[in-house]
Amino acid sequence: MASLILLAIYIGIAAFGPCLAPYASSEIAGSPLEEPGRLHLLGTNDLGQDIFSNLLCGARATLVLGFLGALLSVLTALTFGTISAYYGGRTDEIISRIVDIMMTLPGFPLLIVLVVFLPSSIFIMAAIMGLLGGLQGIRIIRSQVLSISRAEYIYGTRALGASDHYIMSRHILPGILPLAAVTFINAAQRFMLMGVGLGFLGLGDPNVVDWGQMISRAYSNGGFALGLWWWLLPPGLAVVLLSMTLALIGYGLEEEIEPRLKNINNSKWFTNGYARNN
Amino acid sequence: MLEIINLKTQFPSPDGLVNAVDSADLQIEDNERLGLIGETGCGKTVLGMSIIRLLPPSTRIHGQIIYKGRDLLNLKEEEMRLLRGKEISMILQNPTTSLNPVLKIGDQIAEVIQLHKDCNRKEAKTKAVEILAAAMIPEAPKRADQYPHELSGGMKERVMIVMGLASQPSFVIADEPTKGLDSGTKAEIIRLIRDMTSGRSMLMITHDLAAAGEICDRIAVMYAGELLEMASAKTILHDPQHPYTQGFINSLPSRGLLPISGSSPSLIDPPHGCRFHPRCPWAMDICRREHPQIIKLEKGHFSRCFLCA
Repeated sequence: MASLILLAIYIGIAAFGPCLAPYASSEIAGSPLEEPGRLHLLGTNDLGQDIFSNLLCGARATLVLGFLGALLSVLTALTFGTISAYYGGRTDEIISRIVDIMMTLPGFPLLIVLVVFLPSSIFIMAAIMGLLGGLQGIRIIRSQVLSISRAEYIYGTRALGASDHYIMSRHILPGILPLAAVTFINAAQRFMLMGVGLGFLGLGDPNVVDWGQMISRAYSNGGFALGLWWWLLPPGLAVVLLSMTLALIGYGLEEEIEPRLKNINNSKWFTNGYARNN
Repeated sequence: MLEIINLKTQFPSPDGLVNAVDSADLQIEDNERLGLIGETGCGKTVLGMSIIRLLPPSTRIHGQIIYKGRDLLNLKEEEMRLLRGKEISMILQNPTTSLNPVLKIGDQIAEVIQLHKDCNRKEAKTKAVEILAAAMIPEAPKRADQYPHELSGGMKERVMIVMGLASQPSFVIADEPTKGLDSGTKAEIIRLIRDMTSGRSMLMITHDLAAAGEICDRIAVMYAGELLEMASAKTILHDPQHPYTQGFINSLPSRGLLPISGSSPSLIDPPHGCRFHPRCPWAMDICRREHPQIIKLEKGHFSRCFLCA
């Protein structure tokens, strides 16, 4: 529950951050490297930009990237996973083999290469992530659809004259939605970290502020060496907290779907998220 | 109404071809209810599935299944789909696993109506509640709003029956509708099936001879993929001619639970000669050597046995 509230705050910041921020993200608002104070809540960076404003504005890029990528990857996984498992035979063989081949390619390096060659925009990045990240999802969804589509009620629906399309949308989809939700949250977490990583490597969209860029700038321009904590820590903490929030939601959802998990891990760490307070 | 001519259904398996249904000939008249009786694994369900053509793609089906003048085995998959549910419907076995656990009862019945009738979801749902009520289900509107796990076994079986008949099909295949029910519930289900299928043709697949006797007009007995005896329900119950049918009836609880010795033969490599001879108390020399043909004993009574010849 706590993590849901946190996520809501994050989404709120992403949506309204630029309005809440006291300064525009690229505006040179003060003198360089000011310590946190009344005028600049978290101080300024080497260009004199307000770090608090950058932090608020950066949320949008990271969240949009994560959720858009996750949405695309879940859609990819749902479409191909369902088709693959439902029709079986040669269709299944072809899709599964393509997934096998693609999964031998290391994801992040491949992403880096593609991002370097394609125009850098968070939408293109999200699309690439979605397609690449959806591959694992295809396997997960496929295994679930395999078990559902062999169930007798699917057989029965067919005996009553339903078409394949109808069975997939009305009987199989509701059965895999919970799993798709968990896949979505997990993918969102992974993609946000990836996005921050790309930003850190300087491969993000240069026109948009994101947390990865901020960390990168602080790191390479001496924030780390000079011990200027207000420059380096806020974006880093923001990333860690967001990632943890999503992970907890993911665990909570998993437990809701598979209640047996609640008894397996009694450790407070895992259960203090969404599930226990329900 | 339905005529099955020389139907052979075979499944390839690692150990060889499984002859689940072997050279079956069967007719079902308009408004006739035929019971198909046999032990587990004798091929009776596969025969039903062959009619509605819902078998794994690797299955080999030969012969003809003529329904209202059309050979079902020659229809395209799409034509077949349009027949399923509308003309030929099915009441599946195992109501617990045959209902979708995540959809409400009412929605699942409405779905059948909507698939075959031109009406919107709301009308279909109203109709679903009506037919639930007609099937003597108490508090039908409440039941329609419940999920399968909230219903008892007998209630779920009723829902299965209602679903199978919701589209007013002219031919129904009922697969073990009385399986796993206590005797009180079973009597109610039998009455429900009898009432709801009157005026329709039905193939009732079961190993419950008593239930078949109460519901069906005629009974066919199947053993190791073959039809052994066929006659009116009364004749099968009171004057069976085939030793297997006699043994089957003697194994009923009311007749003293006398089992037939031995176990069912393999469908991959059935016994030579008469398939029942290794278990038959009257087996003769000829039974081991030759495969008996099905012969007509009197009007409407057929048996596959050298003793009856």
